[in-house]
Amino acid sequence: MVNRRAFMKSGAMALFAAGFGGVPAFIARAADSGKILLPYKKNKVLVCIFQRGAMDGLMAVSPYADAHLKALRPTLYMSPAATEGSMLDLDGRFALHPSLAAFQPFFAEGRMAIVHGVGSPNNTRSHFDAQDYMESGTPFSKSTNSGWLNRAVGLLGHEGTPFRAVSLTSSLPRSLYGDNESLAINNLQEFAIQMRGNPLATSLASRSFEQLYDQTSSQILNRTGKESFDAIKMLNVNGIKNYQPANGAVYPNSPLGNSLKQIATLIKMDVGMEVAFAESGGWDTHFGQGTVNGALARNLKDFSDSITAFWKDMDAYQDDVTVMTMTEFGRTAHQNGTGGTDHGRASCLFVLGNDVQGGKVYNNIKSLAKEELEDGRDLPVSTDFRSVFSAVANGHLKINNDKILFPGWEGNGLGLMKA
Amino acid sequence: MNFRRMYRTFLVGAGITVLSAFVQGHQDTAEPRLNMPYKKMGLTQEQAAAHLLNRFTFGIRPGQVKEVVDMGLDNWLLQQLDGKLPDEEVNRRLPAANYEALTMNNEDIVNRYLNAGQIIRVAAKNNLLNKDSVRNLDKPEYREQLKKLMDEQGYKLPQELHRQLVNQKLIRAAYGQNQLQELLTDFWFNHFNVSLTKGQSQQYVLTYERDAIRPNVLGNFNTLLEATAKHPAMLEYLDNASSVSMDNDLARRQEKNAMARLAKQRLQQVAEDSTKPGAKILQQTLAARKTQGLNENYAREIMELHTLGVDGGYTQQDVTAVARALTGWGLRPMYKEGPGMRLMQAANPNVLAQRGFVTEGDFMFRADKHDESAKTILGRRFPANGGYAEGKEVLQMLATHPSTARFISTKLATRFVSDTPSVALVNRMADAFLKSKGNIRTVLITMVNSKEFWDKKALREKVKSPFEFAISAIRATNADVQQPFQIFNWCTRMGQRFYYYQAPTGFPDRASYWINTGSLLNRMNFGLAFATGKIPGVKLNLAALNDNHEPESAEAALITYSKILLPERDQDDNIRRLTAMVRDTNLEQKISEAADKNTVNAADGAMVQKEMMDVPPGKKTRAERNHEKKVLGKKNLPVTTVYVAGNTNTVSQVTGIIIGSPEFQRK
Repeated sequence: MVNRRAFMKSGAMALFAAGFGGVPAFIARAADSGKILLPYKKNKVLVCIFQRGAMDGLMAVSPYADAHLKALRPTLYMSPAATEGSMLDLDGRFALHPSLAAFQPFFAEGRMAIVHGVGSPNNTRSHFDAQDYMESGTPFSKSTNSGWLNRAVGLLGHEGTPFRAVSLTSSLPRSLYGDNESLAINNLQEFAIQMRGNPLATSLASRSFEQLYDQTSSQILNRTGKESFDAIKMLNVNGIKNYQPANGAVYPNSPLGNSLKQIATLIKMDVGMEVAFAESGGWDTHFGQGTVNGALARNLKDFSDSITAFWKDMDAYQDDVTVMTMTEFGRTAHQNGTGGTDHGRASCLFVLGNDVQGGKVYNNIKSLAKEELEDGRDLPVSTDFRSVFSAVANGHLKINNDKILFPGWEGNGLGLMKA
Repeated sequence: MNFRRMYRTFLVGAGITVLSAFVQGHQDTAEPRLNMPYKKMGLTQEQAAAHLLNRFTFGIRPGQVKEVVDMGLDNWLLQQLDGKLPDEEVNRRLPAANYEALTMNNEDIVNRYLNAGQIIRVAAKNNLLNKDSVRNLDKPEYREQLKKLMDEQGYKLPQELHRQLVNQKLIRAAYGQNQLQELLTDFWFNHFNVSLTKGQSQQYVLTYERDAIRPNVLGNFNTLLEATAKHPAMLEYLDNASSVSMDNDLARRQEKNAMARLAKQRLQQVAEDSTKPGAKILQQTLAARKTQGLNENYAREIMELHTLGVDGGYTQQDVTAVARALTGWGLRPMYKEGPGMRLMQAANPNVLAQRGFVTEGDFMFRADKHDESAKTILGRRFPANGGYAEGKEVLQMLATHPSTARFISTKLATRFVSDTPSVALVNRMADAFLKSKGNIRTVLITMVNSKEFWDKKALREKVKSPFEFAISAIRATNADVQQPFQIFNWCTRMGQRFYYYQAPTGFPDRASYWINTGSLLNRMNFGLAFATGKIPGVKLNLAALNDNHEPESAEAALITYSKILLPERDQDDNIRRLTAMVRDTNLEQKISEAADKNTVNAADGAMVQKEMMDVPPGKKTRAERNHEKKVLGKKNLPVTTVYVAGNTNTVSQVTGIIIGSPEFQRK
């Protein structure tokens, strides 16, 4: 009799024996501990995009039907109309900014959910603090060592690949601080032994390093060294360089576009990634944020084009991937004296995936009347960000451990994922 | 034999013994005598010197083991514990022309290195930001105008301030004489972490390290704690500057005071009148005032991270009480364009002092924002109206608490001895901490007097942080670093973007945090890039390290440079393994095999081994053969650069491999 685990173990070995002619050290180690993720292909992947600087949720997904909005934002107000380039009505109450037009089909097909009035219960309006709280997942404690996504990776408990959590950033984001191995890499092509302009020496150096790390008495250096060389073999750099997106998807040549393209590459290489992180900047629109055109419109366009290209490219993988966006807070309900908006409280976020109950703007927003605004100026937080993060992590990754994911939180997940 | 003379000699000797015993006894109460048991632990002087240098410097310079042995290990360490060696090299590399901020005070920095919001406000004030230009923010004309304005006014960008901070750390670590002081500066900064990522505190980080940390790293822990508590960087980073209470007479009086009420109303009117200049700032100030209250961030972290430790035996009530005791601890207004400055200038310092305000440098205790009522902290009662002295006493109490002694000793032992220090060692250090009332020198001496520090199992057991790794490469090769920021970029890639660690915990100090697949590859790549001269602004003269003798063979280069770069380490195994690779009679064949086995990307030189997927030799396609020819025939890829005797490239490649090797990652 071959038991299931033994079968799975031999399955993994066979997979790698066929593809690589050897079993990578980290696969072997994880197989020994029984923690390997199998079948190795087609695991679930959560892609998180952090919009740093605080996106103006009231313009991205505008509650245009609220009469107060026009009064609060005399020159920033936009309404849906028949003319081209105007807001796109979603449900008679909210409308998408025209630069997010690419999201409209997702919404119509029911694979994109929008959550509005979302934010942190901590009323800080400092970018730093708000990002810190959102990424650690503990809105009232700064000393939480780890990030919520790192804890999610730990709860998934799969070892066997150095790529299980990858951030396409130059340094590790707060969301991925913690004890579970996470990789921050700006450019996947750098994942190799490199010596510019001297490939022969590079090859010898690479083999020398492999020899040296193979024999060191330091356990951690020995183990990680082996895993590094296996990971290099696993990541085919030429495949990355010559990567062709599926379905003719074209990524914008922007930081977010490039990050999502590399995330797609990793997903298709089946390297066992379960959490991916990317970020997008420039949302702090204090001055001249514009309407149909302008700073915010440009940013929204890049944002939606990048995500749309990614989704198109995911093709056969769409069932396994969910994308969730987040931003640290929203912006003032009223416009300021310089054609922009200042730091506020609640904003909105987007969740895209085939296991999302989409086509709906989830919200508990009352009205924009002054007495309903927080401190008389901001869209109040009526949905705790943790109820969304938890719902997505539980629904998509099947984690179901809010105590560890969001310590100290007593709330419930929002029902935006299919059961 | 002259008995009388012997007798006299004996007497004198005895006298000296008694005298020295007396002196020693006297010293005991002040500071334990240095008595490092390395011989007992089976180490030679050279090995012990290498270990001391590995742990108490940022890396061994060529010939430094011998220097330390010659001057005596004790003398060297005492010199380091004093931290008063002249630093000409550092000064030469940090000329005032490029590093003006290093000697500036907070007020000058704040008024010169504006943050983004301030720059925009300045632009608005100078009518650069009128309604027409708002829409053209991204246009080059606007940027030029802004640049011109900044040049005229002498304003500079915060990035420029950060560059100076980052570079000076690299220069001090690489070229400084007072290595232990600098190492401890790194340690204590990380312990009392603040971050450039927080806008409100970034302008103060440079002076924080310079004024609050560096001068106190070998002194008394309480001094260090108080210096960090009162520095603007910490006050802003953990929000204590905005933690306030109205529970005091001054605030109550002000509420009642009709004049004050009238003034407040007037302020409100100005704020609401958008035609008035400064209305916007005033509006924000007033709005901020309304939402002010107690903020527990600093109080929590000072106990959890700075003193007692998370299991140090405090409760949430203690956190709240400490926060209340520290209400009113803030900084004086320094930005000339800010609203606080005008208020300050209008105030009479004598009246402020009378009312219990205290100004010490840039720190300011605001009596009108302090919670005056009684508090109980860790079981001790603090009566009402304690004022500024109350907070100081709280700090003193925390600094000398037994939990703090244990927590700090554990952290120091983790940094200097091993990732998992023994309980016995920690207890010994904690005892010394308590007896000396937090004297850091005493705790360190107790540590090196312990067998655990010299245990052969502890040698080379610590893994260098990316910063330590990069600096140790610079020191081991006597490299001349003219563009320090390039090294910073590498540290970021290797996982340590120092000064930017966002959480107040600081970087974790353990190998498993630093070593993962991505960061390890980058360490190897750093070694190669560094040694082969591919890092801009880094100059190496590897031949000079070997008195300009050229090694006879690749093998000789390996042996020679292993000894220079890694003194007092057993390298036989490494050398044996690598020798097989470098001493190869069939070099040409190997090279062509290597070419087969590798995918070459001529555009950027990046490549990867694909051994597993290769077609067996002899079955190459024509395309592959052509590819191979192309690669081998390339002018910039001469075959002879790979491990050939008498070639300087050989030496640099070998050096790169030694720096990227596991042995060099250890300290």
